[in-house]
Amino acid sequence: MVAFLQVALAGVVTGSIYGLLALGIVLIYRTTGVLNFAYGAIGAVCTGFMAILMMGPRLPFGLALLGALIFSALLGMGLERSFARPVLRAPVFTKAIATLALALILETVAQQIWPQLSQAVHFSSPFATASVRVGGVYIALIDVVILLVTAGVMVALQLFLTRTKLGIAMRATADNQDAARLMGAPVGNISLLTWGLSAVIAALAGILLASRTGLMNLSFLDPVLILAFIGAVLGGLESLPGALIGGIVIGLLDNLLALILAGHSLGPLDISDPGIRQALIFGGFVLVLLFRPQGLLGQATLRRV
Amino acid sequence: MSDPASASPRSAPPSAWLRSRWAGWFIAGVGVVALLLVPSTYDALYGFQAGFQLHRISLIGIYIIAALAQNVLTGYAAQPSLGNAAFFGVGAYLLAWTNTDLHQPYWLGIVIAMVVCALLGLIVGGPALRISGTYLAIATLGLVLVTQSLLDLWDKTNGRQSYDLTQLPLSLGDDHTLYVFIVVIVVAVLFFVRNILQSRVGRAWVAIRDNEAAAEAFGINLTTYKLLAFVISALLTGLAGALYATWATTASSSSSSADQTIAFLAMIVVGGLGSIVGSVIGAIFVGFLPLLLQQLPAIVSAGPIRIQVTTLQSGIFGLLLLLALIFFPEGLRGIVDRAGLLMRRLLNRHIATGASEGVER
Amino acid sequence: MTDALLTITDLTVRFGGLVAVDRFDLTVPSGQIVALVGPNGAGKTTVLNCISGFVTPTNGAIQFAGRDLLRLPRNQRARVGIGRTFQNLQLFASMTVLDNLLTAQHSALRATILGGLLPFGPARAEDARARAHALATLDLLGLAHYAHQVAGTLPFGAQKLVGVARALVVRPQLVLLDEPAAGVMHADVLDLAASLRRWRDEVGTTLLLVEHNMSLVQAVADSVTVLDYGRKLAEGLPQAVLSDPAVLEAYLGSDGAASDATVVAEEAPNVAN
Repeated sequence: MVAFLQVALAGVVTGSIYGLLALGIVLIYRTTGVLNFAYGAIGAVCTGFMAILMMGPRLPFGLALLGALIFSALLGMGLERSFARPVLRAPVFTKAIATLALALILETVAQQIWPQLSQAVHFSSPFATASVRVGGVYIALIDVVILLVTAGVMVALQLFLTRTKLGIAMRATADNQDAARLMGAPVGNISLLTWGLSAVIAALAGILLASRTGLMNLSFLDPVLILAFIGAVLGGLESLPGALIGGIVIGLLDNLLALILAGHSLGPLDISDPGIRQALIFGGFVLVLLFRPQGLLGQATLRRV
Repeated sequence: MSDPASASPRSAPPSAWLRSRWAGWFIAGVGVVALLLVPSTYDALYGFQAGFQLHRISLIGIYIIAALAQNVLTGYAAQPSLGNAAFFGVGAYLLAWTNTDLHQPYWLGIVIAMVVCALLGLIVGGPALRISGTYLAIATLGLVLVTQSLLDLWDKTNGRQSYDLTQLPLSLGDDHTLYVFIVVIVVAVLFFVRNILQSRVGRAWVAIRDNEAAAEAFGINLTTYKLLAFVISALLTGLAGALYATWATTASSSSSSADQTIAFLAMIVVGGLGSIVGSVIGAIFVGFLPLLLQQLPAIVSAGPIRIQVTTLQSGIFGLLLLLALIFFPEGLRGIVDRAGLLMRRLLNRHIATGASEGVER
Repeated sequence: MTDALLTITDLTVRFGGLVAVDRFDLTVPSGQIVALVGPNGAGKTTVLNCISGFVTPTNGAIQFAGRDLLRLPRNQRARVGIGRTFQNLQLFASMTVLDNLLTAQHSALRATILGGLLPFGPARAEDARARAHALATLDLLGLAHYAHQVAGTLPFGAQKLVGVARALVVRPQLVLLDEPAAGVMHADVLDLAASLRRWRDEVGTTLLLVEHNMSLVQAVADSVTVLDYGRKLAEGLPQAVLSDPAVLEAYLGSDGAASDATVVAEEAPNVAN
């Protein structure tokens, strides 16, 4: 039971990171229609910037964090102006592939500036070693931080979108850009804000993950990104809580399956292999989509003749 | 409505020949002959390196088949599936298995790869009909990752480092023969796919893409034709995968990676959705440009600045890809279309002036 | 004239609480042009959608050429001889006009993917016949000069006409026309009316027409049925029905508007000749 709780907790924690990334993916997808394959690269570059701040000028964690978050907001807004604008009216596939090109460019540029980050580097954080014990369950301090930050981001985002004028304009833009423009919503600034905000979220997710594992490089978010995408789609691609829940479900499933399958084998087949686990998760994901083609929390769209 | 009298001269231009089927076959014929002359040209150009260079460009042919397959599914039948790399990997492994472990003839391995992939396409296509848009794209991307995991696992269970094809026909070991072999297959595939796209089946796919409701109202069975697109696409991708294994003389699970499957999509997006020419251009762009970039000098120095070009390759490729997408959001085939239009106009003017001179005389 | 091709009995369609069509009866005799008119939201297009299968009625029956239409799946209805146009175009926009008409003949052709593999053979011969047929149809409707243009690039009015041609090309027994004149310029409406009548006379197609444009209705319809709030308000010869005070009231509100309708009624006979 304790082992189960321990694993479930770990699942929720990794799932929260997938969920954070899924939040940013859905945010950009809803407001600008871009399926952002560069999202992992954006998070990795921001995390890398923070690692450099801590390694080079030896800034303390807090200051480096602040610097990285400001950097990420600027990066996101800069990308909106330089990248998202020119492809805004392009077909949806063109936009998706354009983000792929963007990821290649970002990673190359970052590698030129910080060649040391092409290998894994140590990422130190003040939460690295401490842990608390609740009942029989050990909780690493960093895990507590991850859960708190995730919850904080979700609540803040939800409040922003439902309580502030700008947030409501942002939702209107997501529903219908042309209508929102006619109603006087500052569509251009909203797109700018969306990219900035989602880049900050990507940076947070990257920094949290790097703090947890103690390591990072410029492509360390790539494998995580696919799970985040699946979480986002599982949650319905429409709703932010859906994205978070989708991410957490994926994280939980991954960890629980690892526990259940550990040490078992079918004949020559070692089913505790991570490959089997992945196959089961993706298989389950496809099954869910078959019964709920719009994801767990998405709504069916109507077709008109 | 425009005046019929002014429109009619445009509908029967003197350059009608350029649009006629004979012109098309003629251009295609010239193209094939040119492709078959490439090996001798390379012998003259590269000497003993010709084989190596031919081997590299043979890969483009394999990508052309895969890009066509993706375009049939996504550009024509409008199914935004990212699952094709699954068939690419399965095709490669099936050939490796029949070739190395079962000691079957090479051609049989190719046929098995195609048939099994077609069946898998049917199995994947069934559920895919219930899922649409982005959901389908991500779900099928998941399928690719599952396939990669399973292929990896197969390797691991058998304790293989790599799955080498040991019983390949000796002649395919020669780079010149391999090149001609691939060119012949690519030309055949282009020929058949073009015919299908211009037939009742191709029109049904485009009808579904343009307007599902209207397509149905004219008796097009959506399920049948979408499934058919999945099957044809999977079959061709399976063929491409088997050829890839032949080309690399090994099958690797990276054939079924997310990167590979997105590369297929990138090919048709940068080349042009719903266009055969676009598939070819896209395959060249995504398949050949990185090879060209490898030819760049390793270090460029201008005065005190020394630039390490080798580490810039993927970034340069990304930049070129991005520029292509920004300036040609409908695909690079736009260049070809414009060139064709220009040629037709020039020809029209030429003939028109010739005709009017004739009248004057 | 002759026996009924299409018989609608007791048709009722509810969308949630809204009754779109309410116990509607209609008989379309073979070879006739019947117009279905009524104010916006009266349920005319819903009736068409029931016939072509995009809407499943809550209640009622539709008989077509002696067969129970409601039991046929949507994509089978083209096969039994029902064609239609759409109110909001729905052309295959990226195809040429000719390819639009070839696609419309889908059910009449047999070529499978195997036949399509080759640039010659029975599949291509069949295709060539379909092409000739499509060109003949365009000719008859005066649209031949559009054949090789991409449908989506044509002016709106021309696209409407292509929509009509696409519905007629398979020579269905019954064609449902959903506001073919909407958005078409007045002069072209008269052309359209002439084309439709000529088509009916030469090919013998039965037409069921939903239309707001009274000049077209006056010019082509053999009989007119008026729908209002999903119910049948009147039925009969165009002249009689369109001057019926109850119809004018439903259509145009009460007074003042009557003069408009009279104008329409007066100009119509010229068109018919």
